Amino acid sequence: MATVATQSPVHGAVRLTEDQILLRDAVRELALEQVSPRAADIDRAGEWPDDVRQLLARHDVFAIPFAERHGGLGADLLTLCLVIEQLSRSCATTGLMLAVQSLGAIPIQVAGSPEQQDRWLPGLASGEQLVAFGLTEADAGSDPSALRTRAERDGDEYVINGGKRFISHASVADYVVVFAITNPEAERPSHRMSAILVETDRPGFAVTRLEHKMGIRGSPTAELAFDNLRVPVENRLGEEGRGFAIAMQTFERSRPGIAAQAVGIAQGALDAAAAYAVERRQFGHPIGDLQMIQAMLADMDAATEAARHLLYTACQEIDAGAPDAARWAAIAKLVAGDAAMRVTTDAVQVFGGYGYVDEYPVERMMRDAKITQLYEGTQQIQRLIVARALLAGRS
Amino acid sequence: MPATLLVVGEVADGTLTRLSAEMATLAESLAEAAGGRAIGLVVDAEPAAAATELAGFMASVEAVTAPQTSGESWAPYALAEVERAVDAGVTHVFAGVTAEGRDLAGLIVGRLGWGLLANAEAVTWSGTGPMVEATVLGGKAITRSVFTGESGVITVRTGSVEAEAAASPGTIEARDAVGTPSLPAVRVLERVAEAGAEASLEDARSVVVGGRGIGGPEGFGLVEELAGLLGGVVGATRASVDAGWIAYARQIGQTGKIVKPALYLGLGVSGAMQHRVGMQAADAIVAVNKDPDAPIAEIADLFVVGDLFEVGPALAAELRARHGG
Amino acid sequence: MQILVLTKPVPDPAAGSERLGPDFRLDRGASPAVVNGNDEYALEAALQLVEAHGGEVAILTMAPANAPETMRKALAMGAQRGILVTDPALAGADIPTTIRVLAAAAGRETFDLLLAGLDTSDGTSGAVAAGVALRLGLPLLSSAGAIEPNPDAATVRVHRLSATGYDVVEGPMPAVISCTQALGAPRYPSLKGIMAARSREIATLGLADLGADLAPGDGVWSTRVEAAEPPPARAAGRVVTGPATDAAREIADFLADRRLI
Repeated sequence: MATVATQSPVHGAVRLTEDQILLRDAVRELALEQVSPRAADIDRAGEWPDDVRQLLARHDVFAIPFAERHGGLGADLLTLCLVIEQLSRSCATTGLMLAVQSLGAIPIQVAGSPEQQDRWLPGLASGEQLVAFGLTEADAGSDPSALRTRAERDGDEYVINGGKRFISHASVADYVVVFAITNPEAERPSHRMSAILVETDRPGFAVTRLEHKMGIRGSPTAELAFDNLRVPVENRLGEEGRGFAIAMQTFERSRPGIAAQAVGIAQGALDAAAAYAVERRQFGHPIGDLQMIQAMLADMDAATEAARHLLYTACQEIDAGAPDAARWAAIAKLVAGDAAMRVTTDAVQVFGGYGYVDEYPVERMMRDAKITQLYEGTQQIQRLIVARALLAGRS
Repeated sequence: MPATLLVVGEVADGTLTRLSAEMATLAESLAEAAGGRAIGLVVDAEPAAAATELAGFMASVEAVTAPQTSGESWAPYALAEVERAVDAGVTHVFAGVTAEGRDLAGLIVGRLGWGLLANAEAVTWSGTGPMVEATVLGGKAITRSVFTGESGVITVRTGSVEAEAAASPGTIEARDAVGTPSLPAVRVLERVAEAGAEASLEDARSVVVGGRGIGGPEGFGLVEELAGLLGGVVGATRASVDAGWIAYARQIGQTGKIVKPALYLGLGVSGAMQHRVGMQAADAIVAVNKDPDAPIAEIADLFVVGDLFEVGPALAAELRARHGG
Repeated sequence: MQILVLTKPVPDPAAGSERLGPDFRLDRGASPAVVNGNDEYALEAALQLVEAHGGEVAILTMAPANAPETMRKALAMGAQRGILVTDPALAGADIPTTIRVLAAAAGRETFDLLLAGLDTSDGTSGAVAAGVALRLGLPLLSSAGAIEPNPDAATVRVHRLSATGYDVVEGPMPAVISCTQALGAPRYPSLKGIMAARSREIATLGLADLGADLAPGDGVWSTRVEAAEPPPARAAGRVVTGPATDAAREIADFLADRRLI
């Protein structure tokens, strides 16, 4: 009898537990009441909304991805994604707050020593401190091995020189996990870098520019310069030369968060378009009575739902230790990012002319959606990962 | 066993409540249909005046003097008298849908295990027992229900019938409370009147309600003015109460009072379901709101799209003019 | 202080999808269940009291077997444990049975205060708190807008809302208190509370655990719904726009027509 060969330890239907439902609904209520009213202003002002950060901190939202022993809620990846989704449904910038905090913390969680974890994680779990993930450089985006920032050992310190680009939240963060070359002589490029936690108030750390972006405008995106920035060796996470591996390990757990942001943005746009379709009347009827509108909405719903379920399954697979976790993370982010772009574009279409003006939220959602196809690995990189996993072991 | 219907009257400010008079009329007509009789019961520190009023609507009234009720919770004393009456043959007890009436109903059910048909808007006699009509599920359905046994408790809403004076005043039997309450005493230490104290919302013929559009406690001045001119009472929506503009006692809605006035006038009321549940049975509904899409328009007989702070004073002036200054 | 709060899962009034089943009983499957609104106010009051005086809050529910889903929210708000009385024989239970069962279950607990919402959005009789007080032989302080216990004197004072304001009433503890919205808005369960609720216990009891004779032996309830209909539709109304003085005149004409002025 033929069996279906699968490496998947899970591959069952995803059922949310009672507390996942309660958590999701509690965050939804919070987001609807306190975040939604702020979303348009956050976008217009283009400034970091610290009041929202404080709101999330007060409601223990930052505690979600952290272990209980560090003051966190010890929730799993699926739960984290449920929360990011609900926040992003109201405001993509707000969802990103939690996603970036989680992203920056993962290197500490996977590679940090117990002492390092005890030192840094509780402040992040409470939301008192913020962390950023500093990998990308001007000439090293999709190709992180082209990194040039160097960290030279000098006694019991590293001296860091170089710079970073497109680092989310680095201008408001207390810590940045900086990836820098510590072993330039290592044979393989992927063994040359290390991950080093840098406190942003150290001399030699500078924010040289903030980007003016198409979307997620409340989230500051920083260019950094490191000029003889001295950092204790104790700030290195994991062994020297393990930086690349740590980064890859990180993406497995952080990409679903971006997929969750994308699903949330898509759902928010779908909600707005569906509400508009029943209110807006033309030719004597609500436009929702027209088949072309119905077709668009149906396709938007299908795309969002499919992305959502793929994401939830990916989360469960990754948490269950699936050997192809990287493929799950990539495939979820790929599908969700494309869904968000498609759904938000169609949402603007449903609104017609009104969709183009900022009186309605969908133009903002469309601008917000685009980034989910670009950061945490472009869609093209995600495709390479998926294809590689598919073709491996077949030749 | 012949039907013997007991109406428990309530006293407010020394006089019988309008609801009690309505229940009396109701019980008498049911007793006639049933070939039985109806009795009224007034339990109070000084029941004479209220009992005399009740006797204007019923053939037979018991005036029970319970001096402790001036300083303690009334319901346990009323319960003791009801038990006595049940021992003497009462088959059905009628109490008002009021705080006291509902408490009494609960005590009776707890004590006797009788069924309870609550919130009766109409009661008819059907063959062997009362049939109660009530609105349920926030206005979704009207049910008609009966007791499966021979006795039961019914709580009655204001406005089920029009109180009708009896052809001649009934007899009053006066006595002292004999029952001992079956619960530890709850003493009344103080009665505090809050600003805007006025007649009960449920009894009012007209209700003028201030909603979110009123904008603040000062806005209720206009609401009061119109209520005064219409001989009515001030009410509020949950939004106004939650905002702290007016006391919760004024709230009409699912978590407040349910009213059935002859006139409901809503100013700045959007008409959320929560609120509608409390007033949608009013005979006449008039609403003023800036928002032409306010849900209350769906149930209003007259819906004015306009600024309540312009329409309201204009209406006050108009009412004064028609009244002859 | 030990406080027991009666909580009832009811069809979510906000969902607007409540309906009666073919036997005219409430179809509890037709809408998602939530904790009855007034019970949440009671629970919030209880949580604030134990925050001030120390102690624990437990919730007591009589409901179908799927009630733990709804009870979790109460636990997430801060109640320490739950007691669920569930039994197929209690489906569609009438008010006297509900009172007997809740009183029997409450009677097994030690508490200083038993709080209940003033009424439920599905039943709306408002009689249960009083009936339970009677069966437990406890004082009833109803329509509470404020609760002030004095643990040293074992008494409690309540602001009992009245049409004109409130009465300050006092009784010995343990006592039963029916609670109103005026006590103050219930808190959102914090996320920490939601996670903590996972480890909080809900004890389940059946009728057999509570003793004999609580429900009618023959399965016949004390009341029966004979018929149910949608309410009569209101006649469509008139919309008035235009200057305020004209609108005022139209309103006055309408009122005069209806003999309301």
